[in-house]
Amino acid sequence: MDKIFDYILKAGAIDRRWIFLIIGLAVLLPLFFPLGLPIRATLATQKVYDAVESLEENSKVLFSFEYGPSTKPEIHPMAIGVLKHLFTNGHKVYVTCLWPDGQFMADEALAEVAEEEFNLTYGEDYVILGFRPGNEAVVKGMVSNIRKLYTTDARGTLVDEIPLMNNINKVADFDFIFSASAGYPGTTEWVQYASDPTGVPLSTGTTSIMVNDIMPMVNSDQVQGILAGMPGAAEYEALIGSPGIGTSGMDAQSIAHLVIVLFIVFGNITYFIELQRSKKY
Amino acid sequence: MIGPWIAAFLTLAIFSYLYKDNPFYKVAEHLFVGISTGYWTSMFFWTQIQPNLFGRLWPASEYNPDTLWYKFYNVLGIFNSVFPDGGINKGHHMELLYLLPFALGVMMLLSVSAKLSWMARWGIAYTVGMAAGLRAYGFLNSNVLGQIKGSAFQIFNSDLPFFALASESIFNNFIILIGTITGLMYFYFSREHTGNFGKLSKLGIYFLMISFGASFGFAVMGRISLLIGRFVDLITYSGSAYNHATLWLLLAMILLLGYSAFSDKNTSENKSTLD
Repeated sequence: MDKIFDYILKAGAIDRRWIFLIIGLAVLLPLFFPLGLPIRATLATQKVYDAVESLEENSKVLFSFEYGPSTKPEIHPMAIGVLKHLFTNGHKVYVTCLWPDGQFMADEALAEVAEEEFNLTYGEDYVILGFRPGNEAVVKGMVSNIRKLYTTDARGTLVDEIPLMNNINKVADFDFIFSASAGYPGTTEWVQYASDPTGVPLSTGTTSIMVNDIMPMVNSDQVQGILAGMPGAAEYEALIGSPGIGTSGMDAQSIAHLVIVLFIVFGNITYFIELQRSKKY
Repeated sequence: MIGPWIAAFLTLAIFSYLYKDNPFYKVAEHLFVGISTGYWTSMFFWTQIQPNLFGRLWPASEYNPDTLWYKFYNVLGIFNSVFPDGGINKGHHMELLYLLPFALGVMMLLSVSAKLSWMARWGIAYTVGMAAGLRAYGFLNSNVLGQIKGSAFQIFNSDLPFFALASESIFNNFIILIGTITGLMYFYFSREHTGNFGKLSKLGIYFLMISFGASFGFAVMGRISLLIGRFVDLITYSGSAYNHATLWLLLAMILLLGYSAFSDKNTSENKSTLD
């Protein structure tokens, strides 16, 4: 038994770069050889889907992009999925960005979904209002008067000249808000300054690391469901029947987690062996 | 065509840090900081300061070249892209009250001067005061009252099953009730954590630990998602459409880092021989 313990302790002291390599391979190999593991929607994802489904046709949806290239793999797939769902159900989408690089993400997502897939018209079916600095002050400003904050859209067109902006003056004029958020400012600020005070329903898609912060708001019905990171995106893609980037990454996600859990178990075993030996001697 | 090569190089350069700190990583890191700062500044100026500040001080709708105000504007016209001929047409009317935030903004920039840095305090004081006031209401309303309201639920709801793994249930309601109360007890420091109170506050710690564990799990999930994102891009750029950018760059980096490690080894061996 002692020999086995010696081997375990020896393996536990390997160079950490080997662990990096193993994790890298655990992520890379399933991308080349997909396993097709099943994806089942959680209650939180189902809530988002149901919230969008419950909207009447031609509803006005405020879609906020609060992420950048660094969190694109997590948030972009869900932004694409929700946009597809909104356009399939015939809703009008108004895009704002609380992050400067969110505008890039919005341009890319809408070019892919609105222009290429749905062949929609800018200014009539969707509009990109763009980025305004000021964090929660921007949200607060939109609640009182959007037109004071946005006199032009992201393409420099005067807002008064955009047909889709008719009768849109404040957040309360929207039927639904979706926040694709990777941090501050993001979902919390939309809840605090827009959704709670005005009563406009809000759903969100966030990075995995934010889920624990937002989940209490989902449980208290302040937020209508949450898409939690890449798995949330994959679940949403499954619900709308349009597999995308989220779905293709789930095999790698599952295998990598399995390997990490094994490492944690292994690390604990070595810890307890060392503890036992230190007590013994 | 050059974009994917740059993207692949920068991604591999950042990953190379996992081997050890090296010049590729340093280049990528410095580029990231520089470009981020430049991009943020440019976006800030062209989406807020130019249209919403200057656009309100010198709007095209009230342009009159005979007034002193617009004569000054025409002098600024040497920066034509910022101050175009005929005023700034961003749909605003003149609001001279905006001179106040403009002045506060300029005062904040004076922090770079040792003599005038005291003026920056005014701008910072305004920002801090405004932000505190703005956040106080939102936090109290959503995070305190909203959460209290959310946790005031009916425990024995006859519509709910007694136990369910992935949905609401009476059992889950009990867990929330016990977790909330014991968690709060842990943060109650006006009484010594001994006896029954101590036992309950210890239970609160276990709930907190489970919450931290969930946070850790989500953090790992997030990092793996980002790694998948970068790998997907690297795989895309390794295709023939991009002249196998990833593979060539990876090979070049391995060779250079390998050569560097070999040279370092030789140098240190020579040094030890001389010693």
